[in-house]
Amino acid sequence: MTDHLNEDDLVLHYYGELDGAESARARQHLGTCAECRHAHAKLQRVLAAVDTMPEPVLPDGYERTVWARLQPQLDSPAGWRAWLSFSPARLAWVAAVLVLVGGAFFAGRMTQTRNAATQIASADQVREQVLLAALGEHLERSQTMLIDLVTADGDGMVDVSTERERATDLVAANRLYRQSAAASGEAGVIELLDQLEELLVELAASPDKLSSEELDSVRKRIDSNGLLFKVRVLSSTVRERQKQQIRTRTGQSS
Amino acid sequence: MPQTDAAAVALARDGDSEAFHDLVERHSRAVYRLAYRMTGTPQDAEDVVQETFLRAYKQLGRFESRANFGTWVHRIAVNCSIDLIRSRPRREAALDLPDLEQFSATSERTDTSGATPERLMLSTEVQERISSAMTGLSAMERAAFMLRHFEGHSIEEISQSLGLKTNATKHSIFRAVRKMRVALEPFVADA
Repeated sequence: MTDHLNEDDLVLHYYGELDGAESARARQHLGTCAECRHAHAKLQRVLAAVDTMPEPVLPDGYERTVWARLQPQLDSPAGWRAWLSFSPARLAWVAAVLVLVGGAFFAGRMTQTRNAATQIASADQVREQVLLAALGEHLERSQTMLIDLVTADGDGMVDVSTERERATDLVAANRLYRQSAAASGEAGVIELLDQLEELLVELAASPDKLSSEELDSVRKRIDSNGLLFKVRVLSSTVRERQKQQIRTRTGQSS
Repeated sequence: MPQTDAAAVALARDGDSEAFHDLVERHSRAVYRLAYRMTGTPQDAEDVVQETFLRAYKQLGRFESRANFGTWVHRIAVNCSIDLIRSRPRREAALDLPDLEQFSATSERTDTSGATPERLMLSTEVQERISSAMTGLSAMERAAFMLRHFEGHSIEEISQSLGLKTNATKHSIFRAVRKMRVALEPFVADA
């Protein structure tokens, strides 16, 4: 018999992944070929054994640990942090002020005496740190919005009005951060913020409800250029730079 | 404590964090088990658990009350696991375990054909072999195989989720099954 089922055919047959004609051929062949039937039975036993895969052992009170880590992230932000994080438009305003202040610092630095150099360096560090914090916040908000979009589900029309509003707010902030990045020549950041802006603008202009096909198309765009991953990576890099700044400042002041 | 998930979800939607706490208490173990199967490491599984409940909390407004919360959170966990796997730099070659021959050699040494299959199936040794074979899967092989074998997703769905071409998904599953077969066949050879 020349038409034996190979290993891959058997796997596809086991999982019901052969199409109608192929499936019928496989069934027919298994009915007449003892060798393939034996191979198929062996595969079935192997995969049944896989079902006995041991479960990971979790300690008593595991749920408490999960909750302890989770709860702080669920609390609504308070105080000045809430004011900052409440609206990306506010963040954009803060960023604009910081850019202006940064410019003033830069202009001031050119006219300072040599003795003031240390103070200016310190002021620059503070400014960068605040900018990093604002950019980090912006990236996290963008990331959350993208995740919500990617995981949004529903049949027929999907309501994306919340994401649309958030995108509208994020566009303005994104442009300012892009300008700041351009001013400091951060090519990688510029590229990412450009990609992000393109998507934010498109979302901001979209209707409140998208068909599942339209939503899939948006998801594919996010997937195809790895936008979510890039935002995550940059967000993590920004946080790392913040930490580094804090360590440097702590080292200087001690 | 609300008696049902539906009641807890209703309260959590109104801002009752204790109600959401109850949902975490009820479902975090199952989410961890799924995440561990998908990702293969305790640290990644832990991250997936956190991300899953965070997303669930943020999307509670979208949860349809007639749906099953466990199923819903399970689906979020699958998505989170996929996101995490996809966010990793591709290290297929480095993680890939082509040492099928090594598996074979070890399997031959531990041939236990004298025992009944039923007893062997439950034996610690079989479970150790499964764990060992699982660690030999690359991240993509593992994810594709888990989604196909345990979650019942079609190859087409898996391809879309993992951003792979259909043939690449099939190839990942074939390799995973082959590794399982080489590792486990000596234990199940003659039923």
